[in-house]
Amino acid sequence: MNDGKKSSRRRRSSSLLYQEPPESMEHMSDQSALPNLNANWVNAKGAWAIHVVCIIGLKILFDIIPGVSQETSWTLVNITYMFASYLMFHWVRGVPFEFNAGAYDNLNMWEQIDNGDQYTPAKKFLLSVPIVLFLLSTHYTHYDLTYFTINFLAVLAVVIPKLPFSHRMRVGLFSGDPEDR
Amino acid sequence: MDLQYAQSWLDDILNEVSLQFQKVPGSAIFLRYVKSSYQNDPVRSAVEFFLVVFAIFYLLSPKYSTQKKSYVTLSDEEIDELVEDWTPEPLVAPQTPFEETENEKRPVIVGPTGPKSRLSNGRTVTNLASYNFYNLVTNETLKEKAIQVLRNYGVGPCSPPGFYGTQDVHIKTEGDIAAHLGASACIMYAQAFSTISSVIPAFSKRGDIIVADRAVNYAIRKGIQISRSTVRWYDHNDVEDMERVLEKVVREQRKKPLTRRFIVTEGLFENVGDMVDLPKIIELKLKYKFRLILDETWSYGVLGRTGRGITEHQNVDVAEVDMIIGSLAGPLCGGGGFCAGSDEIVEHQRISAAAYTFSAALPAMLATTASEVISMLQTNPEMLTPLRDNIKAMWTQLDPRSDWVYCTSSPDNPIMLLALKPELILSRKLSIADQEQLLQDVVDECLTNGVLITRVKSMPRPVNATTKDIGWELQPALKVCVTCGLTRKEIEKAGITIRHAVTKVVTKRRS
Repeated sequence: MNDGKKSSRRRRSSSLLYQEPPESMEHMSDQSALPNLNANWVNAKGAWAIHVVCIIGLKILFDIIPGVSQETSWTLVNITYMFASYLMFHWVRGVPFEFNAGAYDNLNMWEQIDNGDQYTPAKKFLLSVPIVLFLLSTHYTHYDLTYFTINFLAVLAVVIPKLPFSHRMRVGLFSGDPEDR
Repeated sequence: MDLQYAQSWLDDILNEVSLQFQKVPGSAIFLRYVKSSYQNDPVRSAVEFFLVVFAIFYLLSPKYSTQKKSYVTLSDEEIDELVEDWTPEPLVAPQTPFEETENEKRPVIVGPTGPKSRLSNGRTVTNLASYNFYNLVTNETLKEKAIQVLRNYGVGPCSPPGFYGTQDVHIKTEGDIAAHLGASACIMYAQAFSTISSVIPAFSKRGDIIVADRAVNYAIRKGIQISRSTVRWYDHNDVEDMERVLEKVVREQRKKPLTRRFIVTEGLFENVGDMVDLPKIIELKLKYKFRLILDETWSYGVLGRTGRGITEHQNVDVAEVDMIIGSLAGPLCGGGGFCAGSDEIVEHQRISAAAYTFSAALPAMLATTASEVISMLQTNPEMLTPLRDNIKAMWTQLDPRSDWVYCTSSPDNPIMLLALKPELILSRKLSIADQEQLLQDVVDECLTNGVLITRVKSMPRPVNATTKDIGWELQPALKVCVTCGLTRKEIEKAGITIRHAVTKVVTKRRS
């Protein structure tokens, strides 16, 4: 029944950068029909602590692998965390469960958090974690330039998509295929 | 000198600042960190410094919403004013004069329904307006068995099937239907209407594609709407147009992520009465890689040698149709609906079809009655023959003989839909409302002559939808439901009555 609205959501095929268009009325009513359990947990109790726990866990894991130096271990912790959080917050779109009739299919998790509001406490926390982790890991890698470059690129990869200007922004290379839905 | 004075003043301030800084707890750690991190590399330190400043800036920024406000903020006075000004519209639109007269004249059946029904005004009429094709309404054995089940099981299970509503009789009936159709599994719903409108959204979601016939019934339209899928319509029963649509969909979707794709159509169309060309559709569905959802609500128990529906009638393998939806109400004299298909398709619905998970299960006596009728159809296929003879008898009285109406239904369909001939509509310039009025007059005329028939009543359109949105207009028609509860003579007599009523009304209107 929504074939009439299709044309407004079509993306210009040639552009590398494009902005996700605003949702239709039907989309928005589906989004608000049920709470978005996929994104709401970031505001739950313990959701902040789990980041610290995971980072410590990773550090222990890489430390017990024989032959891994402190520098490599910190760098591994850093890039593992950055990779996992990029995957979770910025790469995967939609909701993995059958809620909201697929109304969030075009948005990644970062855009779903707090209904797309910017500078909320959860977003502030989630942005500071990678920055602090990066500062820690550069410190413990004794400012070796190679390690520094790797860690810095990793932190850029998760910080840039979190900025308000990249809200709903899709880059042809990094965001996967824009699904024309 | 002024310069010297300024320098010593600056030194003093710097000393003071560093003294104060050292007094701050943790400042030594900070200094050591800065010293050790500097390492004669100003660029890197600048990068880190910038990052920290950015983080602080981000943490201090105020929250804002990215969603566009779609409402106006009103003051309390304005709200009060608006509330006072508001007069509620009636929940239901007032009746049109046409509906009023229709309601006044509406016949009321007293006592049990059957081929001959008694009306509240004391007259007994020939009932050709109920789906009592095999006259099982008057079958005493079925009645006895239903009463027995009622005594054992009570009326309703009072619970959804997934909770504690499933009873042994439901499992047995599901098995019976599957065995009858030759499908590997079957799931039973409590209402025939909500079966298809629940099966479609269980499989097709937002972003998936449904290709559907324009004339599909209201339940299918609702199902498509609920599913939020993208829908493409093709002209009613036009296989070539369907192929064009399928090809277009495949072409458009070539470079996009794979979505689920469905063809939705009916076996015997509720609104038109004609039959679908299933073998051709199966061929196209395999060619373009679609799944087929077939609504057999009006063909299951009617078509085919043993009433297996359109697959048996057109010699199609049941496994080729992905989902067969049928009704156990109407001719089968039970209640509820079913969906038959592969094991996966059925099991998926047990947890994700809304009407199955959220609606109380079918009363046991309706399930056993349906299962009883199915075994009757299987063991005694001759019971279908008198119905077909009667359809033929009625058909010969109406279609070629009447100058004013023609039958849009398939010759195998016991529900005969009689529409006014296009020449008549064209020459008299009859609008849809005119045609409905004329047909209602025919229905009234038949009733005075002792034959109860009705008109096709499609469900209402979606709010604000025009014919253009739907792309299809319901053709007003008379609905004559043939039954085998009447003899050939009686059917012929009723047919003559209907034909004469049509002629009388049409010719009277001209003068």
